[in-house]
Amino acid sequence: MAAGTAPEKEAASRGGVHGLSEAVVSFDPLLGTIAQAVVSGILIGGVYGLLSVGFSFAFGVMRIVNFAHGDLVMYGMYAGVVASKMIGIDALWAIPFSFLLTAVLGGVQYQVVFRHFVGHATLQQLLAAIGLALVLGIVAQLVFGVGTMSAHSGFSGKYVVFGPVFLSQAQIVAFAAAVVCTLAVEFALQRTRWGKTVRAVADDIEAAETVGLNSQFINISAFALACGLAGIAGTFMVTYFPVQPAVGFALMPIIIIATTIGGLGSVNGAFLGGIFCGVVQQLTALLWSSALQDVPLYLLLLVFIAYKPTGLFGLRSE
Amino acid sequence: MEAVAPDKGHGIAAPTARAGRALRLWSLALLVVTAVLPLLPFTNNYILAVVVRALIFIALGQAWNIVAGIGGQLSLGHGVFLGLGCYVTALLFNHFGLTPWIGAWGGVLVCIVVALVMGVMTLRMRGLFFALATVAISLAFDEVAKSYVGLTGGDNGLALKFFGNSLWAAQWRTPEPFVYAGLVFVVAYYWITRRILTSQFGLELRAVRDDEEAAAAAGVRVFRTKVVGFIVSAALTGLAGALYMQFYQSIDPETAFGLSQAIQLQLPALIGGLGTASGPIIGGAVMVVLAELTNLGSTKFGLTGVDILVYGLLLLVVILRAPTGIVGLLRPSGGRGKTR
Repeated sequence: MAAGTAPEKEAASRGGVHGLSEAVVSFDPLLGTIAQAVVSGILIGGVYGLLSVGFSFAFGVMRIVNFAHGDLVMYGMYAGVVASKMIGIDALWAIPFSFLLTAVLGGVQYQVVFRHFVGHATLQQLLAAIGLALVLGIVAQLVFGVGTMSAHSGFSGKYVVFGPVFLSQAQIVAFAAAVVCTLAVEFALQRTRWGKTVRAVADDIEAAETVGLNSQFINISAFALACGLAGIAGTFMVTYFPVQPAVGFALMPIIIIATTIGGLGSVNGAFLGGIFCGVVQQLTALLWSSALQDVPLYLLLLVFIAYKPTGLFGLRSE
Repeated sequence: MEAVAPDKGHGIAAPTARAGRALRLWSLALLVVTAVLPLLPFTNNYILAVVVRALIFIALGQAWNIVAGIGGQLSLGHGVFLGLGCYVTALLFNHFGLTPWIGAWGGVLVCIVVALVMGVMTLRMRGLFFALATVAISLAFDEVAKSYVGLTGGDNGLALKFFGNSLWAAQWRTPEPFVYAGLVFVVAYYWITRRILTSQFGLELRAVRDDEEAAAAAGVRVFRTKVVGFIVSAALTGLAGALYMQFYQSIDPETAFGLSQAIQLQLPALIGGLGTASGPIIGGAVMVVLAELTNLGSTKFGLTGVDILVYGLLLLVVILRAPTGIVGLLRPSGGRGKTR
């Protein structure tokens, strides 16, 4: 935390860590750090939410559990790296490109693999998605190597200070984008003609075809949108979180947990579930151990699966 | 799935009699070749080590096949039981000097308890939630094992104290004993799988896999059947984990509990044929040969991870084109049958 170091040094030079709380703020220090954890948890969680929105959307509409969703996020992250490191522009300019890239990848995935499984989240479908995830991960590794890469945007490494709380500008921007994207998807689904057709196909594919809807086209477009959201999320994320080929798989647990807690299939639920995960993670890191920051989340997932599998906002269970 | 031909066999666990005989012969031939391999003049430790890897891989696949292939519950968390088998055996040996011959059963016991808790919590749900829960549990174990460095060695892993050639420590400098140990495992697990397939319990497991409601209506205690199947599979995985530990001599959290391990465990059964007794044997043999070949080819070009690419593509091709695996291809319906 760049801005945090100056007052710390000052306090240390005046003799003692105890000077720290007086030098920075007049707040209770523990409350200050808890506020910090909650606020950065919300910001980080908003991006978890954006990661999960597309995943949940694909499940809600087509009953597809896309284990390769994290890898698509990773491709969005690499798009940011390419823009920032190889072309030399602000990483955020890559967003339209990463949306297109991951949407097209998603469309291809749907056409090659998932169209065989629409409507049932079967064992075979999960395994096929895992196969896709393996392939996408290794392709990224062959192209970019195993090392970590980071990207720069105009907001990277800058902070805003509110009393005791330091906020990363990159995270604030990503959070804002997450809110906008979630609302946009919800609007498109509930208020547009396209959204109406998507919901119709999801409800009853045969009836929808009887009244003249092209269910294949509608499903491809919906799946491509879900995957494009992953790309957008990735590019925002890479402005504060470095990428490597293993990231794609590593993101899946948090996506699954956020989606299940929010309610599999619910777009708003996935977003709120992401925020919930971010806050739990940050508080655990603060109060217990940062190495074990995800353990309470895994336990929460178990509790939700055992007692409330529809999550907080989900309507139907599978 | 497009063009789902009605299954002309009797469900995936029962290939037709002729194909079944051919498969058993092939499996038997593989095992006999393996058994005499250490005696042949041209073998060396490298080849034998590959064979041991294959046998361990097959044994783990056979264990997973029981819950996923016969029971239809997709466990993505079998790395947990592999890891527990490894860690418990090794910790009992390193700290208490308990011989792995007994320590392995300690690992099995722990696996049974963990599987019971996991199963009771998650198996009431449909398969999807079970699969997701098993992912979460294995990653939780991963984080815990990484953070309790004092006990597990953290990221660096845990190594067995080495005693050279010793029957008591179940350690040998050469791979031959492990070839025979691996063979014992594979044959025993094959026998167990066949016993389950032909038993009342196996019939119930398959009924639950094919249609839970119908099974329940026919008087099968669905939940209990799933939990018991999961526990049996977990116990066998844990026992094979002990063999894994003795052969590799070390284990680390990523290898034990990582998601890629859990996926590799599934490939022998998937590629060979889910729910069949000989499937994991055929599939495991094919995979290890394939992995060795790709690694041989790709290290020449300085590429790593090509074997994973091959696994991924193989997984996709098998699921989309031959969902009943190699075993299914040998059937008259040509492997285009419906699995579930």
